[in-house]
Amino acid sequence: MGLLAPLFLLGLAAIAVPIVIHMIQRERKEVIEFPSLMFVRRIPFHSFRRQRIRHWLLLLLRCAALALLVLAFARPFVRSPALAAVTDGAREVVVLLDRSYSMGFSDHWERARDAARDVVNGLAPDDRATLIFFDSGAAAGPRSTTERASLLGLIRDAELSAGVTRYGPALKLAEGIFEGSELPRLEAVLISDFQRSGVDSAAGIRFPQGAVLTPVPIGSDVAADNVSVAGVLFQREYFSGRERVAVGARLTNRGAAAVEGIEVTLEMDGRPVETLTADLPANGSVTVDFAAVTLTDVRVTGAVRVQADTLPADDVFYFVISPGQVVRVLVVGNERATPEADLYLTRALGIGSAPAFDVRTTTLAAFEAADLADRQVVVLNDAGAPSGDAGRALADWVAAGGGLLVAAGERSAWPAGAPDLLPGAVGSPEDRAGRGGALGYVDYTHPVFEVFAAPRSGDVTTARFFRYRPIEAHAEAVTLARFDDGQPALVERRVGSGNVLLWGSSLDSFWNDLAKKPVYLPFVHRLTEYLADYSPPSPWFPAGQVLNLSQQEVALGTGGLAEAEYVVMSPSGRRMPVSAGARAGFIDLAEQGLYEVHDARAADPRPLTLAVNVDLAETDLTAVDPEELAATVTGRVGQGREASAPVREISAGDLERRQSVWWYLLVAAFLLLVGETVVSNRLSRTVLTAD
Amino acid sequence: MDAQHGAPGARFVDPKALARIGSLELLARTVVDGFINGLHKAPYLGVSIDFAEHRMYMPGDDIRFIDWRVFARTDRFYVKTFEADTNANFSVLFDVSRSMSFTSGGVSKLDYGRYLAACLAYFSTKQRDRVGMVTFDDDIVTRVPPSAKHLEVVLHTLDRIEAGRPGSFARPLFKATEFFKRRGILLFISDFYDEPQTIVDALKPFRYGGNDVLVFHLLDPAEIDFPYDDATSFQDLETGRKLPVVPEKLREQYRQLVQEHVAALSKLCGENRIDYAMFNTSQPLDHALFKYLAMRHKLTRVR
Repeated sequence: MGLLAPLFLLGLAAIAVPIVIHMIQRERKEVIEFPSLMFVRRIPFHSFRRQRIRHWLLLLLRCAALALLVLAFARPFVRSPALAAVTDGAREVVVLLDRSYSMGFSDHWERARDAARDVVNGLAPDDRATLIFFDSGAAAGPRSTTERASLLGLIRDAELSAGVTRYGPALKLAEGIFEGSELPRLEAVLISDFQRSGVDSAAGIRFPQGAVLTPVPIGSDVAADNVSVAGVLFQREYFSGRERVAVGARLTNRGAAAVEGIEVTLEMDGRPVETLTADLPANGSVTVDFAAVTLTDVRVTGAVRVQADTLPADDVFYFVISPGQVVRVLVVGNERATPEADLYLTRALGIGSAPAFDVRTTTLAAFEAADLADRQVVVLNDAGAPSGDAGRALADWVAAGGGLLVAAGERSAWPAGAPDLLPGAVGSPEDRAGRGGALGYVDYTHPVFEVFAAPRSGDVTTARFFRYRPIEAHAEAVTLARFDDGQPALVERRVGSGNVLLWGSSLDSFWNDLAKKPVYLPFVHRLTEYLADYSPPSPWFPAGQVLNLSQQEVALGTGGLAEAEYVVMSPSGRRMPVSAGARAGFIDLAEQGLYEVHDARAADPRPLTLAVNVDLAETDLTAVDPEELAATVTGRVGQGREASAPVREISAGDLERRQSVWWYLLVAAFLLLVGETVVSNRLSRTVLTAD
Repeated sequence: MDAQHGAPGARFVDPKALARIGSLELLARTVVDGFINGLHKAPYLGVSIDFAEHRMYMPGDDIRFIDWRVFARTDRFYVKTFEADTNANFSVLFDVSRSMSFTSGGVSKLDYGRYLAACLAYFSTKQRDRVGMVTFDDDIVTRVPPSAKHLEVVLHTLDRIEAGRPGSFARPLFKATEFFKRRGILLFISDFYDEPQTIVDALKPFRYGGNDVLVFHLLDPAEIDFPYDDATSFQDLETGRKLPVVPEKLREQYRQLVQEHVAALSKLCGENRIDYAMFNTSQPLDHALFKYLAMRHKLTRVR
């Protein structure tokens, strides 16, 4: 508290005036005319030296008003450090507060919020500030505001997210704010645990010249003892015609000490099913296998939990188990072929659980329209073309969405009267001399081959082809693979809603050795899954993913967004209508837990449940040097609060002018004087009335 | 509104309200007619003794005044009306000294006395008395000789009087005794700021001349209660002398002195068969009229 003009305090002596007036009899200046003073003159003269104070309330009002007036003229101001310390020029301050779930470790979040409050409270009156919360994305509160209360309110209400740390979006947002600012000093305060995993995203961001980034590391000296559920595996089996799933949970320990006897609990549909204990080595992982549970024909939700530790977000893993997906395949062979012709194919399709393949075999002669009833894929394995009603039924079935794979082997004649389904004309078999041919071109972007795209994922070009049928592809057909002599090996054509793939060689070991290569099994599986238009249901999604509900139509079992009215309930109970607006059908899976998608128009009241888990990359609390990050962003080394502009002491005059306390004092004095007028008038009336 | 029949509204009218009536005659008629209407139920009757005329009996007339002989001749009820005391002179001696102009917010004593005088002059005229008036302060200011036709003059004079100079009683009243050789009713209206003995000594000659003397002592509420609070200077309206006064400390003694003064005046007047009445100017004029009538009634019975 200071005074700009303390000499005015001498005016407080004037308070004595009302006191004296109240103590002595007040003599009015105006003279009262009275008819005759003959009676007054007869009364003996008295002097009244010692008087008591009358009208205390009036006296207090007058004294208080006088004191406030004097104080107002003395120009008082408050000299608090937050107000007095002002640097050269106003600052544009951006507070970047990390709210990724790793900040939930121990008391990091509380400390981070305290640090943010300290920054806000340390703002000078002419500073402007923006608060940015970030995880993998960034969201800014009111931009360049001087209202500290709103900033403090935002900090108070902030909550941790389930996202991972990415500095890039937040720093980019801060950069944009700095570029739009007219203030002379630009300061960013980054409050985070500075995980190394989030630094890569900051590459290429450069603050404007002169901007300062002050890192506030919220680290902990305590070793990060953290056990997390890294994921779950499902082992499906069929027992007595029922599908059973055994859940295996993989636990990781990122602490330097081994963890023994930790309890792991499997929950199904919210109820604990089984609890096991596990021992984890230091910096190691272990898999815990739970007993198999029998599934019904509906999806069940589950979770695997370990005992809560310092980072609770990764102690639980949610998932959804769907009843097994089965692709139903009809293999049509040639009645004249050897029994081994279908052997490789049927054996390959007999392996697999996600999806499983329900394979039925028949011959071309026995093939009839009824065989297509429940099939998703038909494989004409060196069988030739069906004719007559069966041929027409096959054509209709393909046009309605079925998948047809034609393997052009020895007996694959496709007469002119056969249905026009093939993507190309099949020529006579050609032999390749010597070691045979190989696949020379493969479209690895196609779903059939994309599993082989990555290194060490299997090489389809190692297979040798000794004989194949040349294919003259139609114009609308797409060639997915070619032999090394340029002849098409795999050609695709869309027929109506269905797909037809023409493979130029056999699927057994007669014309090639593909069936003996390791890539055969995934190749056949991918061919079949692609033709069946199969997409595996996701048992869980990573937090932060934006999900397009329209891609979940199979799981939802509806006719799509146009016919549904979805309402999504987040794990925290927030309702998110998704059927309206520009982003119809999209859900931002920001929270960890189980989302429920309700369709108000659906007859089945059971919601679709989506499991969302945190990204375990965030559990790696390895920190980067904060100054290194600051240097990356600002382009200068040694930035920090110390390097900021010199702090000057704001002058008393400026401080007083900014606060303008005198104005409030004058108003208060005025109000007191109004009150004094009211009280004195009332007292005067009271005296007259009483008399 | 007809003054005669609208009279109930004028009864006990606040003098401040009456002050807004510009015409004294209208004011007097408003007060007096309403007052007379009220007298039908009042005990103050029979101030006239001389027969004047007959008139038709009206419900409410006293049946004692029915002339039975006329009834015997005409078979109709006639009542005898009586003329008032036609020989009586009614004169108002009005103090117009400067102290009479004092008011504490309501009606000044001068105005109150003016209304009183007007009312009583009108009232007397109604009773066929002759009315006259003398105003005085330190000397005789105006004089209107008593006459049955002087009501207008009296009202006009009352309308024009102003309080200007200091007053006294001995000198002007001594002069005034010359004006009243013939018996009459003399009404003194003043605030009587003088020694009671001095006042009564000045009034005695009138009494000795055979006049019925009535004294109306007018006082403002502030003169009675002294409701002042803050210490200040008081200035005597007549002498101009200033005096620092702390009213809060003097109030009780002042009130006591005023009461003693009123009591002394009343006592001395009584001893000299002068009718004395003190009026607070905040009271309705009817009070004064009642008192006057009561005095007149008493005088009638004495005669």
